[in-house]
Amino acid sequence: MFRTTIAALAVSLIGAAAQAQDFPSGAVDYVIPFGPGGESDITARFQQPFFKDKFGEDLVVSYKPGGGGAVGWSQLNSMPGDGSAIMGVNLPHIIVKPKQGNVGFQTEDIVTVHMFHYTPDAIVVTADSPYQTLDDLIADAKANPRAVTLSGSGKGTANHLAQVIFDELAGIETTYVSFQGTGASTTANLGEQVKAQWGYTTVGAAQGDKVRMLAVAMEERHPAFPDVPTFRELGYDMVSGAYRGVAVPKSTPEEIRQQVAEAISEINADPEFQKKMLDGGFALVNLPYGPELDAFMAEKTEEYLAAAESAGVLN
Amino acid sequence: MLDYLVSAFSPLNIVLALLGVAAGTVIGSIPGLTATMAVAVLVPITFSMAPESALILLGAIYTGAIYGGAYAAILLNTPGTPSAIGTTFDGYPMAKRGDGDLAVSIACLSSVAGGLVGALALLLLAPPLAEAALAFGPVEYFWLAIFGLSLIAALSTGDFLKGMIGAAFGLLLATIGISETSAEVRFTFGSNTLLGGIEIVSALIGLYCIPVLINLVATPDRHLDAPAETTGFRLPEAFAVMLRNKFNLVRSSVIGTLVGALPGAGGSIAGLVAYSEARRTGRDAPPYGEGNPGGIVATESANNATVGGGFIPTLVLGIPGTPPDAVILGALLVQGVRTGPSLFSDGSNIVYTFIFGLFLATILMLPVGLLIGRFAYGAISRAPKAALVPVVAFMTVIGAFAIRNSLADVGIMIILGVVGWLATRRGFSVSPIVLGLILGRIAEQGFVQSWTIGSAIGNVWAQFFGRPLSMVIIALTLLSFLYPFMPQLRVYLARRNGTAPAKETAPRAPGRAIGLELVALGVFAAIALLVIVQSTTLNPEAAVFPRTVAIGMLALCALAVALTLRTGRATLPGEMQGMARRATVPVAMLVAVALIPVLGFMVGGLLMAAVLMLAAQHERLSAAGWAALAAGVGLTVALFTVGFRSALSVPLPTGALF
Repeated sequence: MFRTTIAALAVSLIGAAAQAQDFPSGAVDYVIPFGPGGESDITARFQQPFFKDKFGEDLVVSYKPGGGGAVGWSQLNSMPGDGSAIMGVNLPHIIVKPKQGNVGFQTEDIVTVHMFHYTPDAIVVTADSPYQTLDDLIADAKANPRAVTLSGSGKGTANHLAQVIFDELAGIETTYVSFQGTGASTTANLGEQVKAQWGYTTVGAAQGDKVRMLAVAMEERHPAFPDVPTFRELGYDMVSGAYRGVAVPKSTPEEIRQQVAEAISEINADPEFQKKMLDGGFALVNLPYGPELDAFMAEKTEEYLAAAESAGVLN
Repeated sequence: MLDYLVSAFSPLNIVLALLGVAAGTVIGSIPGLTATMAVAVLVPITFSMAPESALILLGAIYTGAIYGGAYAAILLNTPGTPSAIGTTFDGYPMAKRGDGDLAVSIACLSSVAGGLVGALALLLLAPPLAEAALAFGPVEYFWLAIFGLSLIAALSTGDFLKGMIGAAFGLLLATIGISETSAEVRFTFGSNTLLGGIEIVSALIGLYCIPVLINLVATPDRHLDAPAETTGFRLPEAFAVMLRNKFNLVRSSVIGTLVGALPGAGGSIAGLVAYSEARRTGRDAPPYGEGNPGGIVATESANNATVGGGFIPTLVLGIPGTPPDAVILGALLVQGVRTGPSLFSDGSNIVYTFIFGLFLATILMLPVGLLIGRFAYGAISRAPKAALVPVVAFMTVIGAFAIRNSLADVGIMIILGVVGWLATRRGFSVSPIVLGLILGRIAEQGFVQSWTIGSAIGNVWAQFFGRPLSMVIIALTLLSFLYPFMPQLRVYLARRNGTAPAKETAPRAPGRAIGLELVALGVFAAIALLVIVQSTTLNPEAAVFPRTVAIGMLALCALAVALTLRTGRATLPGEMQGMARRATVPVAMLVAVALIPVLGFMVGGLLMAAVLMLAAQHERLSAAGWAALAAGVGLTVALFTVGFRSALSVPLPTGALF
């Protein structure tokens, strides 16, 4: 009883303090629910210096890896709700994971305040692969069902769902081999342990001449890869990838949610930041806290759950 | 080339390298603070630096941290970083007999030598080695993990069956949580804390360090035998050891470089593989595992060689070779440096300046490492138990917390410590459990991926056994598994030919010992059964690995029970002295973990330290003596808490007090 009183008192004090101050009122702890070196880490690191420049406070990146993000997200709401702590969020992870079993959080528990970029899905092959075009890969897969192997990062992830969606659209059957993270999946592709990779445009940017992208799942071609067609151009209606954003604990008041969203938007609008992101193969989106973000989340939830259903990764 | 050398050795870079190595060594020496974390904390500082200076600083910290892990391994039987696991095997026995200073010096010389070999490979062979590393597919990673497991045969001499059971237990522990390959939740029994699996570094600290602490408080004896007089660095002796181990040193450094260049293997495996090879070929006394300095030479040279080796895929392919490399890669991208083959071919100055900086840092590690090593040895060998136990216990708690900022990890660490202590008393050594835990994930992923690819190409057998590189690793594995049994085999053959005297039968152990033995085996068998039952509810991809391991474990337990009943051999019950004091250690630590969210990290830590001080002090002490002890311990706890909070930005819970 005494403990709850103390806790309640502390919460109300913090809440009061938070309302009095603007975000950021001090160093902000930016928790990435994955290990270092992945796309979530790299984009957070991209934001770090801009945050310091624009708002004069440190953005401290820390990692809480485990369970494909579940360890971090299941603890999000126990973090302080005063704007001193924010956490990276990823789609489709926060939609698909809770439907795979008890992972310690529900999609509704996570207050996303901004989606700032995505890594569009892309089929990547090595420079000396026999697949010159997407049609070559499709032809091989039609002639040899299941024998075309594609590496990708994780199960029930953007890569995996892209494979499922594309196989349905193209009427083919391929084999998806799950690796831990994009790095391991790229290694397998470069070493020709698999025939191709379900990766992202970022893989194409990082690997340069060593790889060729057959198609990217964007609405229009990526500015860094003007020669790579979109799936839509080739007749397969898919725009997809892994979307990343920022969430705050549920206890965070509305004003601070707005302010965090505005801060992220401001970084997103910086031309220098945009250039860094595009050069790295990322694609920017700008969906701050509000009805537009809600509509986007609703649309994606439906799309991802349908794909996860046919991928057979739901419980 | 000369320009790069000159720009690498600028005064600023020399200062950065020196600071980096010193900071890294200190951080690495604290169990729980890993090289990855040290590098991650410093990344924002490097944003304002020139890219090559930033890289030199980060590389120096990384190098220092990998070496610093040796101190706790040698002096406390606790690998400060996972890379130093193999260092405990011979380092701790050496320290026990009073050769801790020599062991630390050998570790320093070996680390420097290994680091130089790794850096040389990075300078001269990076692009071809990166290409070669790509030939390593899922199957090869699977067999590499099995090769690592073959060390069990050597580490559990005397009781191979128990070693295998322990390893199977470790492999099963590794499957707890959300599976990486199938996204299925496994063996969490509804607990959210187990979702992320058992964190390896905190598990290591628990399994190795907690039993040491539990045993320390039981008796008033000194922690380490002190040498007759302080002999300083004992450098001449250390150099003599290096000279005797020159082949070992070169082989281990090469192994470290190659394994480091494999993305997805890393320092811990490099050290274990090098140790395994050194042990197989080592002939000199004392035997490996009982304090042969060759074991330290092998592990420490191999793990520091992984620093240079790990940068090979990082810089050439843009794929991190080790976890700290992943952080450094991120820092490079922010700096606007694009990694990839062009980084080397364009003659871009950053890479070469950095490589020379790495040489510089490695060479600076010699004086810095020797000095800090001497200090660490002095502090730990001279500290009274009543100071050593609470301070080390607090360091394990804060270190285990800092890895994922999770108190649950601290709890798991303590519980695994008790499991490790109980297992050791029943003759199951902890090293096989640790090997299983570390190699389990690599083995499982490689296995499932190979199986998937093999099924797709319609030939699973060829996938697992038909690839030339796999065949080499399989052959080495067989050799490594069988080698420790060669002497027994020779005796057996001689006896069959009638040239050797018949084996004497050992007397039967007392009934109580046999009873306890059967209970211990029963517990492991029950765990195996539980896994088999639980895995029926999982999808086939998630179930295949744990089920296979559990069935094997069950068979091993049955075999061990049959052997125990037939031969009457059993591990004799251990010392019962000081049981109440022993029990105090895990209990006080667990109570502290429960109190921390309420009272705050420092207050909880101080309370725990006070209880452990009382438990570890055997002789009567004057009031002034107690006051001095309490002040020293209290100050250390307070300094660590404040340092972690402000310098390392670790969000330690503050609770109601502090």
